[in-house]
Amino acid sequence: MGRLLVFLWIAAWMVAAFVWAPLVPVLGETTRVLYFHIPAAWVTVVALGWSMLHSILYLRTRNLEHDHHAAAAAEIGILFCVVATVSGSLWAKAMWGSYWNWDPRETSIFFLLLVYAAYLALRSAIEQEERRARLSAIYSALAFVSVPFLMFVVPRIYFSLHPDPIINPRGKLDMDPRIRIVFFAMLVGFTGLYAWLQSLRVRVARLEHRLDQA
Amino acid sequence: MPSGGSSSAAAVWAILRKECRSEWRTRYGLNAALLFAVTTLTSVSFAAGRLSDRTDLLGALLWVVLLFAALSSLSHAFVREVEGHTLTLLRLVASPTTIALGKLLFNLVFLAVIEAVTVPLYLALMGAPPPRWGPFLALLGLGSLALAAAATLIGAVISQTRGRGALFAGVSLPLMLPVLAATVSGTRAQWSGGPIAAEARLLAAYTTALLAVSLLLYDHLWED
Repeated sequence: MGRLLVFLWIAAWMVAAFVWAPLVPVLGETTRVLYFHIPAAWVTVVALGWSMLHSILYLRTRNLEHDHHAAAAAEIGILFCVVATVSGSLWAKAMWGSYWNWDPRETSIFFLLLVYAAYLALRSAIEQEERRARLSAIYSALAFVSVPFLMFVVPRIYFSLHPDPIINPRGKLDMDPRIRIVFFAMLVGFTGLYAWLQSLRVRVARLEHRLDQA
Repeated sequence: MPSGGSSSAAAVWAILRKECRSEWRTRYGLNAALLFAVTTLTSVSFAAGRLSDRTDLLGALLWVVLLFAALSSLSHAFVREVEGHTLTLLRLVASPTTIALGKLLFNLVFLAVIEAVTVPLYLALMGAPPPRWGPFLALLGLGSLALAAAATLIGAVISQTRGRGALFAGVSLPLMLPVLAATVSGTRAQWSGGPIAAEARLLAAYTTALLAVSLLLYDHLWED
């Protein structure tokens, strides 16, 4: 039921993005990346936060259920992270003329990708369940320390590559109300999609755990 | 050695001395790390040539060399214990926090030795103009402290996995990237005559945050 709702919701707003919402003058046809790219990036951050939260909860309670949540969030997070990175890169090609330029935004999303990849690589290298849960939770908690720092440091260094006028024409300040409605609707849709995927992945992890026990 | 779970300064000091002594006995880790650092340095220098007038590149390449040296060697302190089956005994005489702090200091000494060899060699081989020593050494010190702080906890985690050393570089890189970014920009500023206060503050803040979180996490390192 829930997934049908998510599917219809996203499909409906996708159509609206093409036929109802206007285009922003500078961005032209690339305006529509807004409805996919930013929600995907948003889900990436939500998933990372969720994973960190459950990692810390695991260290406090030693309940494997938290580990299932942390792992599931990381797996789905990396999926959305790839979606956000690729769509952003395509947009950058259209607007800035190159796929990759270490713009601060590109750097921070790439960094999240690295954290997720390392987390999953670490998990795959530990066989015993409790140990895997404990060690990956430690890593996850520590990795979270570096996230705000990187977001803060990198813009200082790579600023020269991207003077403001190039980054700015996102036209966010004077966003058309119709664009804003579609954008926030897509944000809600993507969050719903994430919630559904997350519950699905946690159920699978739970079953796998029970299979291991049997 | 004090018994029980005390993490007093004396116990940490004892761990550090034990680390240094057992490293000095074989020097296997140190030799490998120095060789690796010099190898990286040689390839960078060989590939890039002398860069006397490109101080922006000099700062970047210096920290790439140092980062590689750290990534290749800093998991050694814990992996050695696991491979020699000595960790259990160590855990009997000291608390996890004591062990980790002792290893952190050891990693710092280890890095200092590597830098003492690599940095002068780098400056000479690349034909670098003389750095402003105060800011330069401050950045080296702060950067090493941050690298050691990140490497100690990750090293302890990695030593309990299947691949041991192999995963270390990939897993600790996300934690070391902010260090790389800040030290590179600071070293560059130092050569071009600019201030490095912002970078130094950032490094100090990052190290403090890493250490604070590490102190909360050390207790969870071993359980079985």
